[in-house]
Amino acid sequence: MAQKPKIKDLLNERACRHNTTRKSACNAPIPGATTGGCAFEGAQISLFPFADAAHLVHGPITCLGSSWETRASRTGWPGIDLTQVGLTTDLSTRDVIFGAEEKLAAALDTTIERYRPQAVFVYSTCVTALIGEDIDLACRHASAHHAIPCVPVHAPGFVGSKNLGSRLAGEAVLQHLIGTAEPEDISPFAINLIGEYNVTGDMWQYTPLLEEAGIRVLATLSGDGRIAAIRTAHRAGLNVLVCAKSLVSLTRKMQAQYGIPWISASFYGRRDTSESLLAIAAALDDAALLQRMKQIVSREEEILEAQLRPWRERFSGLKAVLNTGGNKAWSIAAALQDLGIEVVATAVGKSTESDREKARRYLGAQGVLMDKPGQQQAQIIEESGAQLLLAGGRSLYTAIKQGIAFIDVNQEKKKSYGGYRGLLNLAEDLKVALESPVFRNVGRRAPWQK
Amino acid sequence: MAEVIHRSAKPLQVNPFKLSQPMGAALAFFGVDRCMPLMHGGQGCTSFTKVFFTRHFCEPIAIQTTAVTDITAILDGGDVGITEAVHNLCRKVTPSLIGLHTTGLSETKGDDIRGIAGMIEAPLVYVNTPDYEGGFASGWALATRAMIEQLVTPQTQLNDNRVVLLPHASLRPIEVEKIKEFIAAFGFNVLALPDLSTSLDGYLGEKQSALSGGGISLEEIRGLAAAGLVISVGASMRSCAAALQAKNRLLRHQHFDHLQGLFATDRLVELLLTEAGLTRPPAAVERWRSRLQDVMLDGHFTLGQCRFLLTGEPDQLAGLAAALHEVGGKLNVAIATVDSPQLEKLPVARVLVGDLEDAENSAADFDVMISNGHAEALAHRRQKGLLLRGLPNWEQLGDQLKNDILYEGGCYFLLEAVNTALKTEKSPAEPERSENR
Repeated sequence: MAQKPKIKDLLNERACRHNTTRKSACNAPIPGATTGGCAFEGAQISLFPFADAAHLVHGPITCLGSSWETRASRTGWPGIDLTQVGLTTDLSTRDVIFGAEEKLAAALDTTIERYRPQAVFVYSTCVTALIGEDIDLACRHASAHHAIPCVPVHAPGFVGSKNLGSRLAGEAVLQHLIGTAEPEDISPFAINLIGEYNVTGDMWQYTPLLEEAGIRVLATLSGDGRIAAIRTAHRAGLNVLVCAKSLVSLTRKMQAQYGIPWISASFYGRRDTSESLLAIAAALDDAALLQRMKQIVSREEEILEAQLRPWRERFSGLKAVLNTGGNKAWSIAAALQDLGIEVVATAVGKSTESDREKARRYLGAQGVLMDKPGQQQAQIIEESGAQLLLAGGRSLYTAIKQGIAFIDVNQEKKKSYGGYRGLLNLAEDLKVALESPVFRNVGRRAPWQK
Repeated sequence: MAEVIHRSAKPLQVNPFKLSQPMGAALAFFGVDRCMPLMHGGQGCTSFTKVFFTRHFCEPIAIQTTAVTDITAILDGGDVGITEAVHNLCRKVTPSLIGLHTTGLSETKGDDIRGIAGMIEAPLVYVNTPDYEGGFASGWALATRAMIEQLVTPQTQLNDNRVVLLPHASLRPIEVEKIKEFIAAFGFNVLALPDLSTSLDGYLGEKQSALSGGGISLEEIRGLAAAGLVISVGASMRSCAAALQAKNRLLRHQHFDHLQGLFATDRLVELLLTEAGLTRPPAAVERWRSRLQDVMLDGHFTLGQCRFLLTGEPDQLAGLAAALHEVGGKLNVAIATVDSPQLEKLPVARVLVGDLEDAENSAADFDVMISNGHAEALAHRRQKGLLLRGLPNWEQLGDQLKNDILYEGGCYFLLEAVNTALKTEKSPAEPERSENR
């Protein structure tokens, strides 16, 4: 039990800016008025992209049965992509009454023998946490017996939100993997990418540019990640926290434990991508490296500029309303602006303080930050004459009624919008929506309504 | 006739296609107009369920959670969390019914939801659906039975014009509508419980409500016992029919294990002719039967040479297997989510309770598999034909508008099976030129 991370400590993250203004961003969920995933889902998001590790969920069927194969995290791992293999002990009544530790041990053996993973993550869930299953012991035995790391992940859903679950996953990695192996060679410019899950291959939009400048990605947590690499992550010179605030606890602790400094980065849109690439180079504190990166950035911006020009002409004068949550409130806004579209409003109802600040900075004084987008957006569209609504499925009818183009931003995206090239993918998708006659046609009155 | 393995010997599920009881219960509540399913568990149980159905149906899904935390799991017997949840959700919306159902978490705690339900004034149905017991279909059936037991007004008189349909969990919205229309064509008034045909059928509504829109109304549920006949479809729904009969001792009950294929549909037509006192069905029914006969004849050659593996809920397997068995399809393996007496009746060589790893281990025994979207990777890896059936189907749009049942749907189903088999068919008879003469 001593091994378990202290949840209270994690909730009180010093490196979180909001902690100075508000007691906690991670308040207990309100019964009957809660949306959003649980801690287990957060842990899953953070660790599942390790395709060379097995992910065994110790719990009843809902936890895994409803959630496996839901994320398009891409990997270059040549073996079986274990991200897309669902493993669960699928507890029965009998297991709940008599305990399922033997079952878990057998499940671990079966998993390791059949799938030969580089490591196994064992996830506790509400039911197994409540009945007191000792997953640490099962993991210790299996690690010793099979000579691969078996990592207990103590993020049962009911301890909190997805955000907390990500932190708990980070704790598990820090405690059981990081620092357990040494890299073959140490590059002077080795970095870790933390919180980058390579969804739709976002990461691959910018990692070639890092490498070209001479920066080596030592390990990732956990997009296209490798267990062998994360074990050596303590030898990196810099942690780059990508677009995810939840793992800030991990980067802060790695700074304390291993002296690795960290910076935040985002690779959505031209400005963020350039700023982040330069910030990484600057943080590695080498004049020649920074010079190389500056050249790469200006070259890439030039290429992109040429590619964007026709799009800007195409999109010029267009206005959009954006209704989504979290960092999308500003990251998609920034990308739209890069494409020459004016963002007249964005939703900040569910954003943190820093997301809100950033949204204000990007939209300028004229932009509307919507606290109740569901009620505000129709009026804003009408008044501003916006031609495009980017929102979740619930808002579809608003767009139909106004006869304007609609893009479902919450739908699983199939293409990467990350890095420089991702903007072109976004532009293609916008074009399809803007040119589609469907929004006008569907809104046509029925013969019996005339 | 079959070898049946009722219990998996494995200590785990690998690539499961099984879904949980609370998810089945939630789906049943979506079939009630202006209902708010309230899942008593962690916020994740509900969030996963919501995302799962949203992606499957491509529709916004209304569901709420009691958001049990590690602290309330210990300190609260459920009464505080549930009453607070009802209070909070009723501040935003006015549901006609709240569908309170439990999860593994709240059942492990041992909350007395029956007692708590008694303390709540809003219209509410409660049901115990731990996810470490049963599965999707039993959750659906338990929720349906709870609605009957707790809502339906007892009756002492028959209404012979009225038929109640109790569809199993795997019937899709349009299939429920087709059965209703089929029965109505014989002159009956039909109500279905649950009724997904007007709630999750995928339609553009004027307002995206924060509650389920469409489905059977609470008033209609209350009056369900005022009927002449109840038809249950799927073995999992038998207990629901019995519960309805308990509300009206005169109510007649007819059971169908499924409504796929010629035989099952013939039996339904026979029943409806007798009930309606007719000698001939409506012309369209006759026409569709003859079309199905033709498709069976046209398709038997291909299907007779095709080896199938089926996965699904037991009731779903019963229908799929019957439809293919009638045309001589080679049914080599059927894998069920959970155990059921239904499995003994399947006309399939080998039947087991298991997962998609079991399906993969049987790869040498089939050419075409019928399974849910999780089988996509397997089918691709092993170069097998795949008919997507069951939830989730995230691979295709419009699953809710697909129809496999009765004469008409039987045609569509067999044709899709034939065309999939033709596409996957290797041609071993074709002589190949040998490289080393």
